[in-house]
Amino acid sequence: MNEHSTHPADDASPAQNIEYRVAHLQDRLTKGEAAEQGVRVEARGPAVLLTGTVPSAQCRDQVLRAAEEELAGFPFHSDIVIAGTDSPDHAEELA
Amino acid sequence: MIRVAAVGDIHMGPESQGVLRPAFDTLPECADVLLLAGDLTRHGTVEEARVVADEIRGLAVPVVAVLGNHDHHDDRPDEVAALLEDAGAQVLEGRGTVVDTAGGRIGVAGTKGFGGGFVGRSAGEFGEPVMKEFVRYSRHCADGLRRSLEELGGQDCDVRVALTHFSPVAETLAGEPLEIYPFLGTYLLAEAIDTAGADLAVHGHAHAGSEHGITSGGVRVRNVAQPVIKRAFNVYHVQGREPAGAGAGAGDERRPADVPSPGYMT
Repeated sequence: MNEHSTHPADDASPAQNIEYRVAHLQDRLTKGEAAEQGVRVEARGPAVLLTGTVPSAQCRDQVLRAAEEELAGFPFHSDIVIAGTDSPDHAEELA
Repeated sequence: MIRVAAVGDIHMGPESQGVLRPAFDTLPECADVLLLAGDLTRHGTVEEARVVADEIRGLAVPVVAVLGNHDHHDDRPDEVAALLEDAGAQVLEGRGTVVDTAGGRIGVAGTKGFGGGFVGRSAGEFGEPVMKEFVRYSRHCADGLRRSLEELGGQDCDVRVALTHFSPVAETLAGEPLEIYPFLGTYLLAEAIDTAGADLAVHGHAHAGSEHGITSGGVRVRNVAQPVIKRAFNVYHVQGREPAGAGAGAGDERRPADVPSPGYMT
């Protein structure tokens, strides 16, 4: 019925759909070498934003590698930080 | 007063060997016990568990831990727990332990816990077998926590702490997408805590959540996921029971779980 159905435009194919790319990246981060469920992946206009805190620089590199592969063709921005490892400078009093 | 240090979600692997040890070595100066709130490894492998074990081995304060979902991912939770115990930690699942410290006697009841959601928005034990199993498992974990806290209630503890990986309350999930709350915790844990009574509840799991929360029964809840506290651990000073004779009725009776003291309402 749809005149475009037999001739899908490139940008309408599932492979070019940014939402599915985001979902597949999130799935890969969970199941893949990163095992990272703490990184949020969100479509922001024409790009993808990665945010969250990871335990090590190596983990961050794994996340970015996965993003480059899964989001091929889409620009992405990373605001991923590495968890702090300092001792606390004060305690909380639970009186 | 008992000084409780706690952290969860340290997600260690060979690449992070030694990163927390310098901070952990300062524990005797500021804490009586270290609680580890699960997700101590990235994939739950034996290799990663050895890294965690080396990180805590020989610490000058007692270590009490629960495992998290990441620690189950390689299907070897018993081996992970055994390695941590070999390094001196007590790993709890549906049981409690009492630690005698300079600050007092602290009882810790632990379970990993599980998801299911919160009051009015929770999963039900209905339908497909896997759905019923999901809810039953969560209830099983919560029942273990309640029993453990109740047993600790008869062991002359100055302070009782509920240690879980999943969250007992929604408050400490603030910052996470609402849609995933049912995967981050369950009210069943809070109900267990409020039924049996506790002085503090500590959990992890919600990396984008918030540190502070409280059960409807007035028990303070702290999300100590490392990404939330942004440190190697946080320290909470928990007031124990007043010495016997310090006040009318003090010393012999625990604060009823369902009747918060005025201080708990502030």
